Amino acid sequence: MSGKSSACIFGIVGFVIVLNICATPLNAQSIEEKTAVCAGCHGRNGKPIDKTFPVIWGQQQGYLYIQLRDFKRGDRKNDIMQPIVASMERADMLAIAEYFSKKPWPDLGQPRAPKEVANRAVRANASVGCTGCHLDQFQGDGTVPRLAGMSRDYMTKTINDFRSRARGNNPGMSDLMLATAPEDLAALTEYLAGL
Amino acid sequence: MDKRSILAVALAAVAGILIGPVFAQEVKQEAKSTSGKAKISPVTQDQLNKADKNADNFLLTNGNYAQTRFHPAKQIGRNNVKNLHVAWIFQTEVKESLETSPIVINGVMYVTTSFSHVYALDAKTGAEIWHYKHKMGPVTTYCCGPNNRGVQVLGDLVYLATLDAKLLALNAKTGDVVWQSDIADPELGYSETMAPTVIKDKVLIGTNGGEYGIRGFLKAYDAKTGKLLWTFNTIPENSVGAWATKDATGRDMHRDIQAEKDQLAKTGDPYQKLGGGVWQNPAIDLATNRLYFVVGNPSPDLDGSNRPGDNLYTDSLVSIDLETGKYVCHLQYIAHDVWDLDAVSPPVLVDVKGKDGKIIPGVIHAGKTGHIYVHDRKDCSLIRFSQAMVAQENMWVLPTKEGARMLPGANGGVEWSPIATDPGQGLAYAINLHQPMTYHVENSPYPNGKLWLGGAFKVIPSEAQAGNITAVDYNTGKIKWQVKTPQPMIGGILATAGGLVFTGEGNGKFAAYDSSSGKELWSFRAGAGVNAPPSTYMVDGKQYVVVGAGGNTQVDFRRGNNIIAFSLN
Repeated sequence: MSGKSSACIFGIVGFVIVLNICATPLNAQSIEEKTAVCAGCHGRNGKPIDKTFPVIWGQQQGYLYIQLRDFKRGDRKNDIMQPIVASMERADMLAIAEYFSKKPWPDLGQPRAPKEVANRAVRANASVGCTGCHLDQFQGDGTVPRLAGMSRDYMTKTINDFRSRARGNNPGMSDLMLATAPEDLAALTEYLAGL
Repeated sequence: MDKRSILAVALAAVAGILIGPVFAQEVKQEAKSTSGKAKISPVTQDQLNKADKNADNFLLTNGNYAQTRFHPAKQIGRNNVKNLHVAWIFQTEVKESLETSPIVINGVMYVTTSFSHVYALDAKTGAEIWHYKHKMGPVTTYCCGPNNRGVQVLGDLVYLATLDAKLLALNAKTGDVVWQSDIADPELGYSETMAPTVIKDKVLIGTNGGEYGIRGFLKAYDAKTGKLLWTFNTIPENSVGAWATKDATGRDMHRDIQAEKDQLAKTGDPYQKLGGGVWQNPAIDLATNRLYFVVGNPSPDLDGSNRPGDNLYTDSLVSIDLETGKYVCHLQYIAHDVWDLDAVSPPVLVDVKGKDGKIIPGVIHAGKTGHIYVHDRKDCSLIRFSQAMVAQENMWVLPTKEGARMLPGANGGVEWSPIATDPGQGLAYAINLHQPMTYHVENSPYPNGKLWLGGAFKVIPSEAQAGNITAVDYNTGKIKWQVKTPQPMIGGILATAGGLVFTGEGNGKFAAYDSSSGKELWSFRAGAGVNAPPSTYMVDGKQYVVVGAGGNTQVDFRRGNNIIAFSLN
């Protein structure tokens, strides 16, 4: 998603969310109330409404929590997410993270990578060691996210953001992405999307 | 969904409309208890003290408090090992990296898996007695796989440290939790994969986290209650040291001492986030009540620019007093390490030839550098170091943004894999990796509980990897024999009084070798990487050898979930 109209929509969403949080204290809301707004971008059925948005259904609880925490701290910058998390306490973040982690991972219907692309991705992994943290089947664990079946466009955007350090809450990932050839990263993205 | 719908959903949220079903929370039972045929009996401190002479059991992670990994059982020997066959296979619930050291006590075996599961098994049949499944906290921050390297037992308690940095005592008969203590905050980068060491009234535990900007430690807890007794910080408040320009073997490390001094004046001592994990068990000298352990790398691994000084006591052998946790001595192998060629394989206490040729109490450690270091136990001083067991090239070239090639790669040499010894032959047996890598450096502040390498290590895809099993005469430092393997080796090794060493490979091969010559005498294909240290024991007069075959996350060997025991016909 790009362009002024998108930014405008996001601005409205963010504003509405802030209003909602102001109207009802977070600690008085049910988990469904706390998470209702998330569907606006991340999808009512777990499929994000835009391909550059991440899947959060079925994502690792620790990872979701750390991202919320980092949005609040300002370590990860995002004009939509930061107002949403501004009034959240740690317990809210953990509860929201747990709520989404227990949802089923959605099938985005992305095709499996062709053999030559998959082979290149496997070789790149053997060099840079993605599975050292994301684990054998790229399912992630704890504070490390699942990558298998994640939106291809979101991963492409994220890798670019890591490489430019626009995403600043994990410089270790920036270092790894910068040490990896763009062609290898493209192969990895296509391969992971199709898992 | 189009963009108007986004707004609609958000408005619905304002109106308080519930979206999405309410899911019931399923709470799984953490521990279960079933009746097994083997009788679970308590372990006494006297048994643990004499573990090196006990052919029936495998009582401590590395065999005994000296950590020799030399076992007195000799029913399986050079002449009959060819008849070894599978006695039983137990399949765990977890198909992920398996690094457990099986503990065996009077016919009962305790093994662990990734994600901190514990199983009690009948050591004769492999039948499950109980299974403890740790309810992991939401935040775990660990490097190199969700591993667990085992438990320790004293009395009727089984001690376990978990990935979410907790120390637990379980009822040995049921697997129920008796007490639980928080070791450290996992959100800050702490985690546990090592087996605890228990002695008398204390449970000793180190910490992972050298890749996370922690301040490392070794802690002692009350074995009965879980109350913290003392903490030894592996990073002292003055971590600067002596501005050593050479490593323990005398090679120049190309430090810019003036730049470091300028940085120190600007930002002060970096001790609070300097890393220094303790990944493996301490050896204990029962005669002097002293612990010997090694301390891992400084954080961040590859970028030394913000951590001026020698970064004490990273990359060091350290000795402290068991009762008080007070410092006794140390020797640093690599000051201001920027290659992660740290100290992780557990040290071993053996008598060694001193500098003057007299036999003295020694301590030996196998480094990621590929050397076995031999120390005087009295003051930690270095007596000698062995010939390099792996190729060393371009040492110590400094990491660059583009990547500088140096051998060994960052996994070693000898990784966390425990070595074995045969004191009668004066030999130490080590398994090694050869993984050519480039070292890339970047600078960034600690990102709050996320991996902090200060750059990247990259395996060079065009260069062949390999491994080896090496026997080193620790009284001369000379390599006595070496067996090449097609892949890098990680896991561990065992020596027995039967004149054998046992070890496994990432391709699933598990083999026995003549401990004097390295000649292969028997092998088995496990179907998944054998990357765990073997144990041996006896039940009803029959000797068994047991090992985990579950592959490895760090080197990405094929995963499995098997505990395999072997015996003679």
